[in-house]
Amino acid sequence: MSDIILRTTDLGKQYKNRWAAQAIDLEVHRGDVFGFLGPNGAGKSTSIRMILSLITPTTGRVELFGYDLFNRREQALQNVAGIVEKPDFYLYLSAYRNMQIAGSLTLGKTPAEKKIMETLEIVGLAGRARDKVKTFSHGMKQRLGIAQALLCDPQLIMLDEPTNGLDPQGMKEVRELIQRLTTEKGITVFLSSHLLNEVEQVATRMAIINKGKMIVQGSVEELLKANANKVFFKLLPLKRAALILDSLKTVSAIEMTDDGIMAKIDPKYVPSVINKLVNAKCKIFSVEPKHSLEDYFLEKTTES
Amino acid sequence: MLNLIYWELFKTYSKWRTYIGFIAVAVLIPIIMWIMWIEGGKFISYQLKTLQSEFLITGNLFNGWVVAQVIMNGLWVHVPTLIALVAGDQLAGEATSGTFRLTLIRPVSRTRILNAKYIATLIYTASLVIVIALLSLGLGRWIFGTGDLIAFDKDGITILPESDLLIRFMFAYALAVWSMFVVASLALFISSFVENAIGPIITTMTVIVIFLIISNLPVESVESIKPWLFTTHMNVWQQAFRDPYDWDKIWNSAAALGINSFIFWGATLWIFKRKDILT
Repeated sequence: MSDIILRTTDLGKQYKNRWAAQAIDLEVHRGDVFGFLGPNGAGKSTSIRMILSLITPTTGRVELFGYDLFNRREQALQNVAGIVEKPDFYLYLSAYRNMQIAGSLTLGKTPAEKKIMETLEIVGLAGRARDKVKTFSHGMKQRLGIAQALLCDPQLIMLDEPTNGLDPQGMKEVRELIQRLTTEKGITVFLSSHLLNEVEQVATRMAIINKGKMIVQGSVEELLKANANKVFFKLLPLKRAALILDSLKTVSAIEMTDDGIMAKIDPKYVPSVINKLVNAKCKIFSVEPKHSLEDYFLEKTTES
Repeated sequence: MLNLIYWELFKTYSKWRTYIGFIAVAVLIPIIMWIMWIEGGKFISYQLKTLQSEFLITGNLFNGWVVAQVIMNGLWVHVPTLIALVAGDQLAGEATSGTFRLTLIRPVSRTRILNAKYIATLIYTASLVIVIALLSLGLGRWIFGTGDLIAFDKDGITILPESDLLIRFMFAYALAVWSMFVVASLALFISSFVENAIGPIITTMTVIVIFLIISNLPVESVESIKPWLFTTHMNVWQQAFRDPYDWDKIWNSAAALGINSFIFWGATLWIFKRKDILT
C-alpha cells in the first residue's frame, strides 16, 4: 500500500457557472497532520465533501488508501472518519445510541458497549453517555463528533473546522487531542481550518486554497522556510530608508508598503542594518520578523 | 442489512411524530364507536330501510364487523396523511438535521441506506394499519358483539356469514397495507429531493387529492389514464367483501399498486444516489 493515503487529482465541483472548487490536487501521507487552509468560502468544505462522497465532483477523482472513491466506495471509506462542518446528531437519542448508530454503519454490526464507553471516556463524555444529545452544549457535541470519528479505529480522520464555536479551553483540548491521535494512535489527521494559529501548532504538511483553487502544498517547515528571514521595518521616512537598505549587500527583496518596508535579511545582520538606518536619521518604530504561517498565508492568498 | 434496518426502525420509533398517527387512530376510533353506540342501530336501519320492506331480517346486523368496515371506509382517505407524516420525514428530516453528514460518509452504499429506510417506512405503514385493524375489530366486537356482515357497494348488498369474516377482514387489511405502501413510497420519493419535512407531507396529500379527483371524474378523456393512477386502486381492500372474490380486479389493482410503489422506489434511489449533501 502506498504511503500516500489520500490523493485527489483535478478534483472540482461546478455549480451552474461557478466553480466552488477547481483542480484540487492533494496528497496526504500516512502520519501527517495535514492542514487545509483557506479563507471562508475558499472551497475547503466543498473539497472535503467531495473527498467524503457527500458531493459528486464535476471533474477529477479521489483515491483513499489506494481505492478509487467512486468505483470502490466502501473499501475507500473503510478506514476513514470525519466531521464535516459542525457535527450533527439524532438529538432525540442519547450519546450512546448515536455512537451505536455511527459504529454500526462502519462495522456492519452494533459496536460493543465497552468500546463505546472507552471512546466516550477519551473525550470526557462517559458520564453523559445516556443523556439525550439535545441537552448537550456545542462543545460537548464537538467532542461527541470526535468520539464518533474515533469509534471504529480509523486510519484517517478528516476534521472540517473542528474548533468552530469552541471557547479557548475547548480549542486547546481539541488541539491536544489531535496531537495525541497522531503521536499515540498513529492516526493521520486532515485538518481544515481558517484559523492559522491552530494549524501552525499541529500541522506537519499543508495546502492553501483560495477562491476554489489550490495555491500551494508542501511541508509546513519547508514552505515557511522559503518565507524565512523576512523582516518588516515600521519606520520613517520610507524613501530614505529604502535607499539605504537597497545599498546594503546583506539586504534583498525590498518591498515598500504604506507604513513600512519589508525586506529579506539574515537575522545576524539585522542589528547592523538597524544601526545604519538610525545613523541615517530614520525613525524606527518597530522591527518585526515575518515568517509566521499567518504572514505566509496572507502573502499567498493576496497574490492569488 | 438487518442491522441497518434495525437502526432505521429504532430511529423511526424513537421520534415523537411517529406516534402521532397511532395516537390519532387510538383517539378517533373510540370516538367513532362511541358515536355509533349512542346512535344505536339508526345507521344500519337507514341503510336497510328499503331492504326491510321486502325481507324479514333477523339477528344482530349492527355488530363489530359492520362498525370495523364503516371505520375502514371512513379512514382510508385520511390514513395517507398519517403515513406521509413519517415517510416524508425519512430523508428530508435527515437532510434538515444535518445527520446525512454523519451517515453518508460511512462505508455503506447509499442504496443500502435507502433500502433500510424504505423497509422501515413500510414496516411503520403496516404497523399503523395493524393498529387500526386491532382497534376496530377488537373494540368493535367487544362493544357491539358479532354477527353477519352486510356489505354495501355500488352493485348492491352482500350478506357475508360470520364464519368467513375474520379471513375477509385480514385480507382487506392486507390489501389496505399494500395500497398504503404506495403512499409511503410516494412520500419517501418526495422526501428525497427536498430538505424540509413539511414539503413531502403537503405534496403527498396534494398528489393524492388530485389523483383521487381524476380517478373519480366521470369524463371520457381521462378514462385511459385512470388505470395507471394508484388512487384508482387504493380502495382495492373493498374487494375482500365481495362474494365471490373478483380475482381479476384484485390482481389487477394489486399489480398496479405494486408497479407504482416500485417506480417511486426506483425514482427515489436514482435521486438519492446522485444527491449532493449540502446541508
